Amino acid sequence: MPPLFSDLTSRLWRNLTSIRLTVILLLVLALVATVGTVVPQGEPVARYLARFGPGMGGFLVRIGLHHIYRSPWFLLPVALLTLNLLACLFRGLPQALRRVARPLTWETAQSLPERGRFSLPPGSDPTPRVLKALRREVGRPRVASPNPNRIVFLVERGRFRPLGPYIIHLSLLLILVGGLVSLFCSVEGRLLLLEGESARSFVLSDRSERPLGFEVRLDDFTVRFYEQGIPAEFRSDLTFFQNGREVAKAACRVNYPVTFGGLTFYQSSYGTRLDGPLTLKVCQGQDCHVLKAPLRQVLTLPDGKAQLIPVRVASNLHGLGPAVQVAVKSGPGHPKVFWVSRNHPELADRAGTPFYQPGPRRVLLEDLPFKFYSVFQVRRDPGVWWVYSGFLLSLPGLCLAFLLPPQRWAVVLTQKPDGRWEGRLLGASPRARETFTAKTNRLLARLKQKL
Amino acid sequence: MISTVIGVVTLVYLFAGLLFVGAALWQQERLNRAACFLLFCGLAAHLGAFAGRWVQSYQLASRHAPPEAFTATLRLVVLQVPLSNFFESLVFFSLALPSLGLLSFRRHLRDFLGAMVALLACLILAYASLGADASIKPLMPALKSNWLLIHVLTAFLGYAAFGLAFGAALLYLWQARPTPVASRRAASAVLHDLDRLIYQAVAIGFIFLTLGILTGAVWADQAWGRYWSWDPKETWSLITWFIYAGLLHARLVKGWAGLVKGWAGKRIAWLAVLGFLAVLFTYFGVSFLLSGLHSYLT
Repeated sequence: MPPLFSDLTSRLWRNLTSIRLTVILLLVLALVATVGTVVPQGEPVARYLARFGPGMGGFLVRIGLHHIYRSPWFLLPVALLTLNLLACLFRGLPQALRRVARPLTWETAQSLPERGRFSLPPGSDPTPRVLKALRREVGRPRVASPNPNRIVFLVERGRFRPLGPYIIHLSLLLILVGGLVSLFCSVEGRLLLLEGESARSFVLSDRSERPLGFEVRLDDFTVRFYEQGIPAEFRSDLTFFQNGREVAKAACRVNYPVTFGGLTFYQSSYGTRLDGPLTLKVCQGQDCHVLKAPLRQVLTLPDGKAQLIPVRVASNLHGLGPAVQVAVKSGPGHPKVFWVSRNHPELADRAGTPFYQPGPRRVLLEDLPFKFYSVFQVRRDPGVWWVYSGFLLSLPGLCLAFLLPPQRWAVVLTQKPDGRWEGRLLGASPRARETFTAKTNRLLARLKQKL
Repeated sequence: MISTVIGVVTLVYLFAGLLFVGAALWQQERLNRAACFLLFCGLAAHLGAFAGRWVQSYQLASRHAPPEAFTATLRLVVLQVPLSNFFESLVFFSLALPSLGLLSFRRHLRDFLGAMVALLACLILAYASLGADASIKPLMPALKSNWLLIHVLTAFLGYAAFGLAFGAALLYLWQARPTPVASRRAASAVLHDLDRLIYQAVAIGFIFLTLGILTGAVWADQAWGRYWSWDPKETWSLITWFIYAGLLHARLVKGWAGLVKGWAGKRIAWLAVLGFLAVLFTYFGVSFLLSGLHSYLT
């Protein structure tokens, strides 16, 4: 390799693996994501022009800020960060593995700095005493006896700490891979089903249809409400058919998706559709008439003096149940518009509410033939398993990296010619000095205790 | 009853904060101990109020749909954890701050840092009782998940740890202002301590934030059918994560020509301040300024 080239590659390698690049990329990504929350994402181009003005809006769209997470603005730093991650893994992981593979031994312990001395009287066996003290304060030791008048106790904690950061980085790579798999291999769409209706295909986000590979029917959709009128549960009862045969039944609720045939159904939203004309009762005193009224069609009342149009319907208006908004026009002047509640006809007399009906005529709602429809998010995403395995892997990584600092202790007992045992306490913990010092001091006090 | 307790706790925190300030100004160790004790008492009452609200919201929910089996009861207890609206999250945020301080950073919880923790908790709690709707509302379907407890818990423990780091960073920046040479040596020991504290608090916060984001993604996958949808709350939590990840890595950067050992000191402190501003925006800004899937907070 020519020297210039090798110099360049080595510089590139150094920059690619440098932590400074990591920090810069992380801060750049933070900035890009901030832009992504300031500029609304994924809306039609006309919205940007309306919101930011034709010049600025057009510019934003042209440089791709309306799809920032799919644009080079975001993907380039992510790609660089991935390279940076990989480079750091290649550079550091073998070293970390080598370090982990070498447990604390008497040879390596000798280089640990000394933290204190103590002496034990002759005669008795000192081993149980030191063992007890070590077990109390720092953990179970390994005992070695390199020669007859020397006993060594070794305690090592957080030995696998060097692997922590690499495990976290591996888990991030898994999550990134999962994201890519989701981006390219996932199928995502929507399915709208009326009660009683069944479907063999669903609609993808680009509005094309895609076969399900089976048939699904919405048997029933129910909404439960709390007393305050707040929805408590949305539930779609589904039946699945394969080759015309009923295979499975399942209830799909928010937070409880249903999976069938490799596709997962998520309860996404719901609504109601009118199924046929509504039934109204128009009363003037005791004189009542029942009318079938299709939505948004003018209806002349039986007395011939007024016209009525059902304008719109609501399945649950203000938590008071089904209601229809009607406009009644009698004589010149503006038509009167009010809501008619099915469950609460008495509201018609309540002035100041949207239900108030002025005049002697009363409109009552007898029947509102509503049918629910339910909307499902339909998805198959093989990336999820990559992402989830990344999540799981990150847990031991976080524990190792932040919660289990390496701590090493060695107690060396040497028997003097007079039979006395002289003890030396060695140890080090470069990452957790405070807890290490506290533990070491407690251990030393216990070792020095008179019997 | 509970709102009275919360009002009293707010005052106790305020008083503890003032005692800490007094301890710092007059160098009185006794005042520090008294303030710590007061903070502890306030925290106990605060915890009581939290538990009381939990019981209350469980009772309300069980009146609506009485659980039958033991597992159903247990599930309802988990679901009714008072972490489901803005008021409850504020109360928990201000609960997490002094508890984290007393549990993990007991040794540092003195003088001005103690004051920061106590006063920040007092401020958040005061905002909760004055600016947020305290009524207990039944859970909407999207929030009925076992992930609610763990997701909100981890997220707010993370916020609290970052709040602590923020307090330490402000103190660092104040201590590191240009001073006459004579007092510089004494200050440098304090600065070293604060620098370590910032790092430790950020590390704890980072673990919790990561767990919060991960549990949130799992939950989103179940509820919305997508583990990540670039919702403003998600994006801002990721921005926060980027900033703190940057901070943790910045400490390892070799200085120019290997002369300085890592970024330390002021730049880290500024990053901790920036990170906490991002936390605040993730929490308040996203709820009030940007609309999205997390808008049920307000």
